[in-house]
Amino acid sequence: MSDVLPSISQLLFVLFGAMALGCAVAVVAQRNPLYSAISLVGVFVSLACLYLTLQAPFIAAIQVIVYAGAIMVLVVFVIMLLNVEEEVRRPLRLRYLVPVGVLLAAVLVGEAAFMLQLGNYAAYTPTMPASSDVGLTASIGTGMFTKYLLPFEVTSVLILMAMVGAITLARQGRTPLLAAPGNVTEEPAALTAGGDVLLKPGDTAATGRAFAREQIRTGDAAAPSEVSREEGER
Amino acid sequence: MIPLTWYLALSAVLFTIGVVGVIVKRNAIQMFMCIELMLNAVNLTFVAFSSYFGDVTGQLFVFIVMTVAAAEAAVGLGIIIAIFRNRESLDVDDASVLRL
Repeated sequence: MSDVLPSISQLLFVLFGAMALGCAVAVVAQRNPLYSAISLVGVFVSLACLYLTLQAPFIAAIQVIVYAGAIMVLVVFVIMLLNVEEEVRRPLRLRYLVPVGVLLAAVLVGEAAFMLQLGNYAAYTPTMPASSDVGLTASIGTGMFTKYLLPFEVTSVLILMAMVGAITLARQGRTPLLAAPGNVTEEPAALTAGGDVLLKPGDTAATGRAFAREQIRTGDAAAPSEVSREEGER
Repeated sequence: MIPLTWYLALSAVLFTIGVVGVIVKRNAIQMFMCIELMLNAVNLTFVAFSSYFGDVTGQLFVFIVMTVAAAEAAVGLGIIIAIFRNRESLDVDDASVLRL
């Protein structure tokens, strides 16, 4: 039994490690972003299996839920939303970028191999304990809410900032940011026609402009300047 | 059992693939995915050290890294959408100036 188990764990490592490596290469090699995204899901799932072999079930579950579930759904949604077609092959602006990348990769791998191979690991080679409660949810929760409470709270503030930032960046109507007196490019047709003003509920900018126009037309001089100035400031 | 160096070597290779992807790819979304790949490679190192040393700190750090990755995904994809709306392209060579 004891000589079978190590070989099984090594087999699992080789299997999932090879799967992760193959999917990672596919992420870079694919030219269609959607195929890259699906390959990246493969990387995430095989890494989750590796976390399981490392006795970290909580991190493995979070990996599948957050990465493969949430983040990749977001990425695939954006790919579908933007309707990205395949990457067109066109001349690179920086022609030397690919050789530099390959050279940098070779240097990185060589450095890692040097450190792993020639480092003095004979003095201290840790072995994974047969069973530990380090990776369980209880110990992670205990650590997170006692010793590492401040980083946890800072992380929640970061999430809040990211939420506000994402909504600000991806907002469709940017009238409050860009609307200046000379910047209004599209006027509702009903307003320019001068006839009966057709207003949709919720269209506050159009309502304000229509109100100002109506005030000007009826000759009320005090109110329209106020309204139009307020609109101009926005 | 599996030596710790196996996990470290796998993580190094995964990180390198991510670096090469960021340098070589021109599609903003694919560069974004390669950055996620690098984050995951580092996570693997954290979890491996945490398990072999019996210390929970590494896995807590992985949790925080995943949170940062989620925030990065939200903001980064928002930026990508904004760039695409202005330039009708995801090629980073087209987005060579900061102003929209």
